[in-house]
Amino acid sequence: MPHIRLSEGLPGIRGLFAFRPETAKPLCELAEVLLHTPGTLSLAERELIATYVSSQNDCYYCQTAHGAIAACHLDGDQSIISEVKRDFEHASVSEKLKSLLAIAGKVQRGGKNVQLEDVERARRQGATDQEIHDTVLIAAAFCMYNRYVDGLATWAPQDPASYRERAAKVARDGYLAIPADVQAARAERSQA
Amino acid sequence: MKPIFLPDVESNPQPSPVTDLIRAAQSAGTEYPQIWHLFAYRAQATANLGAFTQEMMRGECPLSPGIRELIAAFTSYGNDCPF
Repeated sequence: MPHIRLSEGLPGIRGLFAFRPETAKPLCELAEVLLHTPGTLSLAERELIATYVSSQNDCYYCQTAHGAIAACHLDGDQSIISEVKRDFEHASVSEKLKSLLAIAGKVQRGGKNVQLEDVERARRQGATDQEIHDTVLIAAAFCMYNRYVDGLATWAPQDPASYRERAAKVARDGYLAIPADVQAARAERSQA
Repeated sequence: MKPIFLPDVESNPQPSPVTDLIRAAQSAGTEYPQIWHLFAYRAQATANLGAFTQEMMRGECPLSPGIRELIAAFTSYGNDCPF
């Protein structure tokens, strides 16, 4: 049960987006820039970084939601997501992505854990400064989103299948479209 | 000041108010917080983060701005981030 009174039926961060539209807007816009605008890291790679950090933070909602979005970008392949969460150094992803996941994991444990040798490893694998920068910001931002979602004890559906429909929409349209159920919950709240 | 890990980030600021601040501090030879380089590098992400921070810290809320800054300072202390 959430620590504050949220609209029923809206899981995870969506209940919070309905609760506080003013902060929802920039949070969604940040997610859009980090995860859904064209860049040299693929959308799948960026969602995998977000999913990995969320799993390290033990945030069930975020790792399942973003894992499902990553799977959409990977033509439905769930196995890579489980591999990355379990042991990314032996997952079937590029050496460059492994080096970026290593940096993301260190940011998750605390920013000061990132050392010059981590950055040099990523550079040797061909990562640009922008890619390293965005990896750190995705990891830092997801520590925020994860703590926001769990710090208010939001509800999360346990069945991974229930995340797929919404994931397909986000994978296609990005993070700026406000889902109909969030809009409806906001309208209800403003009348109450 | 020590250079940051990513020289491309430091040397490629986008046109933004914080870029002007960096230039001014550099030409005056004064120290400045290196988070400015991160702010200047990804202007859109910074604008969104700034909008979020503005709403969180100064938006309508029963907690006074002073109390909110105190929560931010306490959390940053807990995270061992002096800036």
